[in-house]
Amino acid sequence: MSEIFVLAEHRNGELRDVTFEMLSGARNLADKMGATVTAVLLGSGVNEMAEKLKSYANKVLVVDDPKLENFNAEIYQKVLSKLIKDHKPVVTLIGHTAFGMDLAPALAVELGLPLATDCIDLDAVDGRLVVTRQIYSGKVNAKVALKGDQFIATVRSGAFSIEEGALNGEIVTESVTIEDVPYRRFLGYEEAEVGEVDITQADYIVSVGRAIKDQENIPLVQELADVLGGVLACSRPVVDKNWLPKDRQVGSSGKIVKPKLYLAIGISGAFQHVAGMKDSGLIVAINKDPKAPIFNVADYGIVDDLFKVVPVLKEKIKEIKG
Amino acid sequence: MEIGGETFAQKFDLFTCMQCGKCTGGCTVSLKSPLNVRRMMREALIRESSDVVLTMKELWDCTTCGTCTSRCPRGLDPAEVIIAMRGILIEEGRGVPKTIMEALESTVKNGNPWGRSRMKRTEWLQDFDQEVKDLTDGKSAELLAFIGCTPSYDPRVQEVARAFVRVFNAAGVDYGILGTEESCCGSEMHAMGEEGLFEMLVEENLELFNEFEITKMVTISPHCYNAFSNKYSEYGDVNFEVKHYTQFLVDLIDEDRLKLTKELGKVVTYHDPCYLGKHNSIFDEPRKVLEAIPGITFVEMDRSRERSLCCEGGGGMMWNEGAEGERTAVVRVRDAAEQGAEIIAVACPFCMLTLEDAVKTAGYEGQIEVKDILELLSESL
Amino acid sequence: MDIIVCVKRVPDTSEADVVITGKDIKKDDLPFEINEWDNYAVEEAVQLKEKFGGTITVISVGDEDANEVIRRGLAMGADEGVRIYDPAIEGSDGVTIAKILAAAIKNMKYDLILTGAQAGDLGEGIVPVALAEMLGIPHATLVTGLEIQDGKAKVKRELEGGLMEVLEIDLPAVIGIQTGINEPRYVSIMGIRKASKKEIKLLGLDDIGLTPEDVGEAGSLTVLEELSIPPVTKVAEIIEGDPAEAASKLAEILKEQGVL
Repeated sequence: MSEIFVLAEHRNGELRDVTFEMLSGARNLADKMGATVTAVLLGSGVNEMAEKLKSYANKVLVVDDPKLENFNAEIYQKVLSKLIKDHKPVVTLIGHTAFGMDLAPALAVELGLPLATDCIDLDAVDGRLVVTRQIYSGKVNAKVALKGDQFIATVRSGAFSIEEGALNGEIVTESVTIEDVPYRRFLGYEEAEVGEVDITQADYIVSVGRAIKDQENIPLVQELADVLGGVLACSRPVVDKNWLPKDRQVGSSGKIVKPKLYLAIGISGAFQHVAGMKDSGLIVAINKDPKAPIFNVADYGIVDDLFKVVPVLKEKIKEIKG
Repeated sequence: MEIGGETFAQKFDLFTCMQCGKCTGGCTVSLKSPLNVRRMMREALIRESSDVVLTMKELWDCTTCGTCTSRCPRGLDPAEVIIAMRGILIEEGRGVPKTIMEALESTVKNGNPWGRSRMKRTEWLQDFDQEVKDLTDGKSAELLAFIGCTPSYDPRVQEVARAFVRVFNAAGVDYGILGTEESCCGSEMHAMGEEGLFEMLVEENLELFNEFEITKMVTISPHCYNAFSNKYSEYGDVNFEVKHYTQFLVDLIDEDRLKLTKELGKVVTYHDPCYLGKHNSIFDEPRKVLEAIPGITFVEMDRSRERSLCCEGGGGMMWNEGAEGERTAVVRVRDAAEQGAEIIAVACPFCMLTLEDAVKTAGYEGQIEVKDILELLSESL
Repeated sequence: MDIIVCVKRVPDTSEADVVITGKDIKKDDLPFEINEWDNYAVEEAVQLKEKFGGTITVISVGDEDANEVIRRGLAMGADEGVRIYDPAIEGSDGVTIAKILAAAIKNMKYDLILTGAQAGDLGEGIVPVALAEMLGIPHATLVTGLEIQDGKAKVKRELEGGLMEVLEIDLPAVIGIQTGINEPRYVSIMGIRKASKKEIKLLGLDDIGLTPEDVGEAGSLTVLEELSIPPVTKVAEIIEGDPAEAASKLAEILKEQGVL
């Protein structure tokens, strides 16, 4: 029986959510393809993590080696490549994350296997992998078929929900001789600028996007945040323009937040941003564009100019709070 | 210091400058900005290398109101010297405020500096009960109404565009618009120092106007009027006659084609836009039009006509923060309040936006309104 | 230091109503621009050239229209422009585009290759890393900090949650550039016009040792089957009224929902 490999992603000793999401998604795919699910765990001293994976997979394949302690794309590629050549899994799933993006394309090229990235759905048609991915900033879905009989796909974080596993995967350890990779040295992790505000702890978040147009307009939304007793956050473009510091960024490459109230102001709702706030209690969006994807995630919306709405909203909330 | 193959001294006749300082004395922003026009004239003359310009962030505070130029006793053009120095920063690619960069890039990409899609340029016509001929739809008309980017895209100024339509339709004027094929006139691009972009827009627009055989044009914005009237001929053949809508309306009123019946019953003052007034000496026409509106008590501000205080809307200021300090628009609103005005009448989209903002900042919301002359006419129809 | 920068011309769909025609979208009314990530890559290259000297070659796979973005790169400070095209290339997937670039680049001299970590249209994020593997050189992608010293690159890779991974890789290498790494300079129209005078070298498949079977759909291991508009799963309740009315209603709703 063929296997579906799911590369377990972990950082600083913790397994990341995308791992469990992929394992959940892999189970459905495995049924369709008549395959089993194997969680592939590369790391150092990973027994505890291996135990956590057992219920989600038919097998947990572990390679435990000090050289694998911290993610290093080149080293992980060498090990994974050997495992794939030996076990010939029909599908290998890797998270479409900073780790995954640094690894998957090189792996696919080395092995000569087809690669589809940032997939939001996986299907099997006549034994071949057919994926769904988004293009044009999430406005279009593309169905892509992969040729051959072995496939590699990277999976978008949050595309699949985590379903409690009821399996009892066997933990199998393999040892792989790992060459040194002198041309790529991992030096360490660094926190991006740490400010005085931790948006992940806030109950009320007023988040602002590119439509704020100018740094001088930031006080307008800061005042709204103040009146709500909350914090000001933003989408990526605002950070790229240095209008707010990086620690205010909500999104897949920023912070994940779950406040009581998330006010998305002038934010289009691109997937990468939505991934950072979709589990918020109440989501309200203010955007001039009635077709902005944020309205597919929000509970309430106002389709209008934020510069007209925000000042009035601030006053009304002030009145109510007395 | 060189520009386009000649020295600044040669191009702008800088040896004639006697450093009297009348330019700085009349400068709109001189009280709050380090911008010193007289000094700029000197730097442009004596510096060999243009590197010094890279340190002059205050160049972006200039509104290009032209007060300096109008006051120069030697007939020089300090405003253009400042614009040319901005051009050096533009060509360097450094020292240009990010928001200005975006406005320029948007103009190249979308044909307007507001970052909006070209395809949405006629959205102001949606749910509008008036008929407007689109020349790009195969219709033809004697006169082209050049709407302009700000009236096309800004929600407040779209109301002015609609007022234009109501007034011109009521007067039975035969005109058409260029719809989504209309692009920015380029006036502000020139003012921001992006002369290459200005030249490109002139070429494209003249080609477009020739394609539709335009011989007569009326504009809503004084900036568009000024560009077509005075600047386009530098780069191509201008085969059409252009008027600002106030000039056009005076003719309509003289021919009795505009029936204004409703009394407005308000005290109205008029704020002379720099690009109609200082740049083109058009002072009387707007006043004649206002006089024709029944029930208006007209009051004149102290600083009016050539001495009108610039609202700080031009020269790229719509896309730039500018110097810290009180906005001149706020001062202007107080000027109007001093005269007991209930309405400040404007004839320019930038004045509309800056003055409306200033009414709120100055605390006169509910007491003073800002209306375009077209809106007042429309109300009186 | 000789740098190669790979750039792509993409449509801006942010304000557009997307219309699907066959296996693509209608693009006649869309504005086109340089892929935002690639713009940061060109700026990074120009800053490195200003510091270390050397040359920059801007390269793009695409039809004649791609010359626009190559010219923009030249106007920003690049020295040479190269375009690779053959009609057979249409339909190439990300790995195949990397294959085409690798075929051209392997005959060039370089110390560093920069390209955007992904493209704004298809968002695959494949080219930089695939290209590195094909050229047999080290790589790092999603880079938000780059320092070159003694033939090595110290890079900061952007991880999720505001964390950064710090690595050192030997040159020559391929770096996938993430947005926000620098502040791209303004490129004036006059600058672009001057750059238009420079000849852009055009390479066909023969010039890079590939055949039509190596590229396009035939040469790719993934095939686009169908495009569709994503189903709308949830729609927000839109609060009507003019800005003041809507804002008031919203405040009331927040109060009713016990949020305030």
